[in-house]
Amino acid sequence: MLQTVDVKKTMSPVGVLSPHEQRIEHGEPVGLIGDAALGKRARIHEMLKGFREQPVHLNVARARLLTESMKVSEGQPTVLRWGKALAHILAHHPIHIEGDELVVGSAGPPGRYAVVYSELVTPGRFYTQPDSLVPSESDEQLVVTEEDVAILKDEVLPYWEKNQYHGALMNGLPDDTRRLMERFFVVTATAAGRSMLAWAHDFDKVLRRGLRSIKEEAERKLSALDPFDAAAQVEMRPFFEAVVLVCDAMVGFAHRHAELARTTAADEPRAERRKELLEIAEICERVPEHPARTLHEAVQCQWFVQLVSRFEQAIGGGVSNGRIDQYLYPYYRKDIDEGRITDSDALVLLESLWIAMARSVDVYAKPGQPSLTDGFAHWEATTIGGLKPDGRDATNELSYLILRSKREFPLNYPDLSARVHARSPEAFLRAICETIKEGTGFPKLFFDDEIIPSFLMKGAEVAEANDYCVTGCTEVKMLNRDAIATGCAWVNMGAILEMALSDGCMKSYGEDRVGISTGDARAFTSFADLWNAFRAQAEDVMRHTFIQQYAADTLKSRHIAAPMFSMLHDLCMTEGKDIHAGPIDGALYLGFFDIMGFGTVIDSLAAMKKLVFEEGRLSMDELLAALDADFEGHEAVRQLCLNAPKYGNNDPYADSIGRDIEECFARLAQGHTTAFGGELDVRYVSITSHVPLGLVVAATPDGRRSGEPLSESVSPSQGVDVKGPTATLNSIASTKCAQYKERAARLLNMKLSPASVAGEEGTKKLGAMIRAVCDMKMWHIQFNIVNRETLIAAQKDPEKYRNLLVRVAGYSAYFVDLTPALQNEIIRRTEHCF
Amino acid sequence: MIDETRQSEQERGLVFNIQKFSLHDGSGIRTLVFLKGCPLACQWCSNPEGQDVSAELIYTRAQCIGLSECDACLGVCHAGAICGGGDGKVDIDRRACDACGNCAAVCPSKALEMSGEFMSVDDVIRETEEDETFYARSGGGLSVSGGEPLAQARFVKRLLAAARSRGLNTAIETSGLCSWKSLEEVVPHTDQIFYDIKCADPERHLRTTGVSNQRIVENFTRLRHDFPAVPVVVRTPVIPGVNDSEHEIQAIVDIVNEAGGASAYELLPYHGFGEPKYRKLGLAYPLEHARPPSEAVMAALTKIAAQVVLESTGV
Repeated sequence: MLQTVDVKKTMSPVGVLSPHEQRIEHGEPVGLIGDAALGKRARIHEMLKGFREQPVHLNVARARLLTESMKVSEGQPTVLRWGKALAHILAHHPIHIEGDELVVGSAGPPGRYAVVYSELVTPGRFYTQPDSLVPSESDEQLVVTEEDVAILKDEVLPYWEKNQYHGALMNGLPDDTRRLMERFFVVTATAAGRSMLAWAHDFDKVLRRGLRSIKEEAERKLSALDPFDAAAQVEMRPFFEAVVLVCDAMVGFAHRHAELARTTAADEPRAERRKELLEIAEICERVPEHPARTLHEAVQCQWFVQLVSRFEQAIGGGVSNGRIDQYLYPYYRKDIDEGRITDSDALVLLESLWIAMARSVDVYAKPGQPSLTDGFAHWEATTIGGLKPDGRDATNELSYLILRSKREFPLNYPDLSARVHARSPEAFLRAICETIKEGTGFPKLFFDDEIIPSFLMKGAEVAEANDYCVTGCTEVKMLNRDAIATGCAWVNMGAILEMALSDGCMKSYGEDRVGISTGDARAFTSFADLWNAFRAQAEDVMRHTFIQQYAADTLKSRHIAAPMFSMLHDLCMTEGKDIHAGPIDGALYLGFFDIMGFGTVIDSLAAMKKLVFEEGRLSMDELLAALDADFEGHEAVRQLCLNAPKYGNNDPYADSIGRDIEECFARLAQGHTTAFGGELDVRYVSITSHVPLGLVVAATPDGRRSGEPLSESVSPSQGVDVKGPTATLNSIASTKCAQYKERAARLLNMKLSPASVAGEEGTKKLGAMIRAVCDMKMWHIQFNIVNRETLIAAQKDPEKYRNLLVRVAGYSAYFVDLTPALQNEIIRRTEHCF
Repeated sequence: MIDETRQSEQERGLVFNIQKFSLHDGSGIRTLVFLKGCPLACQWCSNPEGQDVSAELIYTRAQCIGLSECDACLGVCHAGAICGGGDGKVDIDRRACDACGNCAAVCPSKALEMSGEFMSVDDVIRETEEDETFYARSGGGLSVSGGEPLAQARFVKRLLAAARSRGLNTAIETSGLCSWKSLEEVVPHTDQIFYDIKCADPERHLRTTGVSNQRIVENFTRLRHDFPAVPVVVRTPVIPGVNDSEHEIQAIVDIVNEAGGASAYELLPYHGFGEPKYRKLGLAYPLEHARPPSEAVMAALTKIAAQVVLESTGV
């Protein structure tokens, strides 16, 4: 069927801009939007002025203190060493109170900062590489001083170069697996790039009990240890000792802030601010040691916990906030009922927390360098809505207040996630749609109807599955049940395809075979031959993937421990074991591996099936010659490839191949058990890695040229889904193998034109579409409501569009902060406009 | 055998596009089925490929990769309608082309494509139901458009009846130019009708669309009288120089009100988006110099349009 777009829709407004685009067109400065900037929230408005212009300072203080402590604790149990190191940091890290802030504490110098995680010596973190560690030029956004360089080079890096996890992991691998890992971007291990996967802490526990109660629990468990039980004395005792140390250190850290607030108050000329500072002092004396009583105490306590977490370790994508509308609700409700605060006060507190998070920037590569997570990526996933543990709807006034803040607060932090289920209130759906229509990419949506059953299949209890929260970009966690902590691998399916077509070799890596020999593709006489070669290469790559994950799990606990994290996890406290140490009794280890280039590979296999094996319009020889020449001089072949069936159009021809691919990997996953007795599931989350992963893959039979990005996450290849969003969603649903439990997140980006969701009618139809997506049991969806013209204009005039937020993959980032390759990739994603 | 083939051809509709996720053509998220063939030839028509009653060759010249890369179409054209152009791309001799479709079948870049395909009711229903999850949540369904769908009234009747019986909401978009019998046959299976009244002045209507509006106005009046319960949305495309005057819109409002009003009256400002399609069909664009009406003009006309007596017919 010929696809022509019906253009009779004269009434559909052409050139409609989203509210976000309108503000940028009018050159409005960054601040709270509209009337929100007035009244009590003027304080937040002031703090936001110039925020995006603040340079990012590298914070080496944490690395220096960590190294000092680690040098003197050599040979002691890992968890105790990390407990002592954290206590040392909390006792000596410089502190300050910034401006008129109400929520205090920072993991760096004033303004924006990036904590140096010197223990993570990897090629991906520039500051751990002496060659790339140079002071920054005056105009760079990331400030690295000569003193920073000297401290890192003289005091810090020499110690960690000898004691690092990354090197130990690479040395610990079998030769063939290591060789594969050394070929960049075929299998990309992420275990050593951060200390652990994205996670939220059980903030509720600290708010309700206070750290004193947790310390007392550790002390009780210490004294209950059998003195004659050698295992308990060697394994468990250091853990509980570390917990006691950390609890005291955190309370001490809060008290340092209380003292600073009092001395600052003494010099404060304004009476009102003086009063505030004294209140802050009282709050810091109260929390996190004791249970919180007010919303202000609760927010400050939450921030202290995640702040200390930032000192403790690099959690993937930052510290997630968990179900914030649930655990803060009792304090909000009580303050409102007792007339202590209004909604504006609550918003000031929440937005103070957002600013505190926004100051903390995660730096791997220097700005502008290609990165696996472009755009200073960090995403403090913040969950609202969804079900309560007992299965009733959990939405409350705070859920709506947080959505309102997301519409009025201009920064891309925190990353808001809304849980949607079949019976989510219509009012909640409307508020979500109104927020999505703003055009900044928030909130991303997670569907309980898919995620909860997936937890149940894996052995979770209903109540804990119902209580899951979003962490990172599309991960989900049951905070006291899940225990997977090691970063999981990215598997380049584009590379697997290339190897299947070239007897195990890849153009990027020359004559030496990367995979296994599967024969000359010219000799394949049927699609089954091709499929078997693909599956054999996939098996080999997955074999190495599983081996590296096993090594990563088992070697990690010699290098890294996280006593603060662990003391907030029920199972770690029961077992007396650090989260990294595994296996922990009763835990579910729900790991995964990401298969990258789903659309690229489906389309490539579909093109070969149709053109070579069914219609005979191309011989394999002709096709391979065209791929070898990167289609130069073979335009007719490329056009045939481009016009073959494509995933994303609800075409069973392509979609059934997608299902076969998922089944192939799910079955490989089924056959494997991890070092800690867990499973690794098939997942489709590319973040921004589909751009660099594409660099090593030669031209592919879908018509993609050599080095171009692979398709992104579970989305169709850029621009090939021409039948509209419903067809795309149907395709995605058709490629799911619901009979396998070895499945996890499917990240889906969808770009809609602002015109298609304009007005009340647009809100209603967007809401209906989201309901339908929930019915289809999708995992996740996020929307870019932006005009293609705006993106192209932003490339030409980055200064004007410096505040333009776009949805990348699992998070929103400033478009101008992205590399040109990723910018182009986002522009090429299909914009659905009717 | 021959009779059977003829029978089944009659039962099929000539479809030139099926468009999913349509948001502006009735309730909810809809699928629009475009039927080929129209008795009107409006100068501003934005779907000119919908006018002719047979399959046509569409040529998107920009997509032709040139004879130096590919000459597949030359080899299969039995009518001698394809030849090389000055810039290395092919040109089509429309007088010689008999729309056999051979060239489209071999064109690797889809620069050459056929518009128009016979589909059975079952085919169309199957493709429409792919999106039923979205209809269920949005109150959407199937809309039949064109071209003029009532030019294939028997097919439309059976299509809408089948859709209704399967729980789909149904709508048609019509120019109103058809026999009353056709309309009378289809309306009982329709949940909502979008009815174009393009121009009140019969002479001007003839000049700009090729036909008089007499039958259109009669059918509208009878439709409102015989089927008062079926909601009808009246639409007027506002074309500069044709009907963008206040008295012209007022005259249409009067026609509508005399017939008893409508459930809504929508003015659609002219746009030139259909223009590239004329080139693809080898036709000249009749409104080459037209510009969309200004916002001020639209605002003034919208005020007049608001005089239409609205019926709450339970849309």
